[in-house]
Amino acid sequence: MKEWPRASLLGAEIEFASMRTYARYFLRRLGQFVFVVFVGINIVFFVTHATPVDPVEQAISSATQFGHSDPRAVEIMRKALRELYGLDGTILQQYVRFWTRLATGDFGPSLSAFPTPVSVLIRQSLPWTVGLLFTSTLIAWGVGNSLGGLAGYYRKNRLLKAVGIAATGLQPIPSYIMSLVVLILFGYIWPILPISGGFQMNVSPDLSIPFVSSVIMHSILPVLSLVLITIGAWFVGMRSLVSNIVTEDYVVYAELAGVNRRRILTSYIMRNALTPQLTGLALSLGAIFNGAIITEFVFGYPGLGTLLVRGVNSGDYSLVLGIASISIVAVATAVFVIDLLYPLLDPRVKVE
Amino acid sequence: MGGLLGRTRFAAIDDVSFSLEAARPEIFAIIGESGSGKTTLARMILNTLAPSKGIIRFLGEDISRFRGRREQLQFMRKVQPIFQNPFEAFNPLKRVDRYLFASAYHFAGHHGRAGREAAADEALKKVGLSLAEVKGRFPHELSGGQLQRAAIARALISSPALIVADEPVSMVDASLRMSIVNLFKTLRDELRVSIIYITHDLATAYYISDRVLIMQKGKVVETGPARQVLSNPQHPYTVLLRESILSPDDVDKSHLAGAA
Repeated sequence: MKEWPRASLLGAEIEFASMRTYARYFLRRLGQFVFVVFVGINIVFFVTHATPVDPVEQAISSATQFGHSDPRAVEIMRKALRELYGLDGTILQQYVRFWTRLATGDFGPSLSAFPTPVSVLIRQSLPWTVGLLFTSTLIAWGVGNSLGGLAGYYRKNRLLKAVGIAATGLQPIPSYIMSLVVLILFGYIWPILPISGGFQMNVSPDLSIPFVSSVIMHSILPVLSLVLITIGAWFVGMRSLVSNIVTEDYVVYAELAGVNRRRILTSYIMRNALTPQLTGLALSLGAIFNGAIITEFVFGYPGLGTLLVRGVNSGDYSLVLGIASISIVAVATAVFVIDLLYPLLDPRVKVE
Repeated sequence: MGGLLGRTRFAAIDDVSFSLEAARPEIFAIIGESGSGKTTLARMILNTLAPSKGIIRFLGEDISRFRGRREQLQFMRKVQPIFQNPFEAFNPLKRVDRYLFASAYHFAGHHGRAGREAAADEALKKVGLSLAEVKGRFPHELSGGQLQRAAIARALISSPALIVADEPVSMVDASLRMSIVNLFKTLRDELRVSIIYITHDLATAYYISDRVLIMQKGKVVETGPARQVLSNPQHPYTVLLRESILSPDDVDKSHLAGAA
């Protein structure tokens, strides 16, 4: 019998009928990826340009709100601003200009913080958001799945039952309520943690111990509220996946054969339940680039979410479009990566 | 089992007693509808559930004493399970041959690769398969009938004295059922394996078993030699079970024709 090329990931053995089928699979998924990104960015382009807030009028009104201005001067200013912002010409010309700029990774100047480029604003906010959400997503996913798996396997354990009740109780709480509750509890009633901003204002932002510890202190409350909101879903999902697998005959067989319980739990049950949860993790990680709008806003965190709210309020299309494009690319990339990994994780997924 | 409100307890199995002789292999059918306690009984015989009262002995020894891994392996070498759903009998993420090799390693003491493969192939040949057909395949790449045969082959590797088969054909295509049922007969006659055949299907039980035990709601309602019990049932439940089988006569008498 011919031995096929094999790959192994997380203990599952995979073989491909040939690398050529996998290459074809890869190309088809890549095509889907490009298509999704293209359509998504187009939709965002047209939606943002349909906003009733006109950034030029916003700029003019803030320039003219103190005292009387000559209408002719205002008209000249309006025209100049339109040219500067790249808003002159028809929507079709703007569309073509947008794509040619995007091809070089340039989102153009921000309209609310003119002339700072959008890419600079995003680059300033991105590390905050990524740090905050990457940490909280991984904590919630890891803790939620571990506890959920244990709760599904040891169904009579009192402590795990209590955790289950707490997790299902926390799950439906909306993020704005959770953020406010956490903020009131640890900011006012028992004021032990900073409640606003990314770091203390009097610390210089460099890689020093005071700065890093200040960043960590400021991130505890937003991370805590994000973890509390999302942990329930992982817990409940994993618990029900595991309690389905526990009754499967191959688990009973492993128990009969005297395989020890910890090994059964990890390599027979959790391992098999993990595949759908990994898809969920990839999607959540992709969604990081949306920013956690409400939580960031409540805690005044200098991330993408706060930036996006500012962009929407001031009618800054370029900024909104830049953030939205990045998050579209990120989610599509996450789906793309998980699609490529899935055949390696689960032999039942056919590579054709 | 306890209800949350009523706090009532009921036994899934109540006062069930039977024995099989080691020297005289037989097919012993346990028949009952769903919820009659058949599977609970199977789990007790396989030593995954401990009875709250009473003792199950295997070759004179109380099986509830087999607690350690070595004793359990020793017990399992002699008593092997076959499950209802062939698609659940193997981990979907593991290759089927791994199970056969693991059985050859743990139960038959084959440590070398060649010995393991030979043992697996031999067992598979007994059920009408071969290692070449199974090797390197995942459960989803085999049919239900092939998987159930592979499960039986896995059970045969350790040359067991007893096979506990819980509804082994109810999830297999009707066309393949007889081949598996006949396989049990062959195992009894040629390999001298006793089989506890748990089923709700009177027809196959009548066809292959030597003795039957009829269960209803955890209690034994009738037991004895298969032909005697099934051709001349005494208990009303057995009569009811027997009447609910469709026979060619029913079709002729158009009992089923309805409006037509």
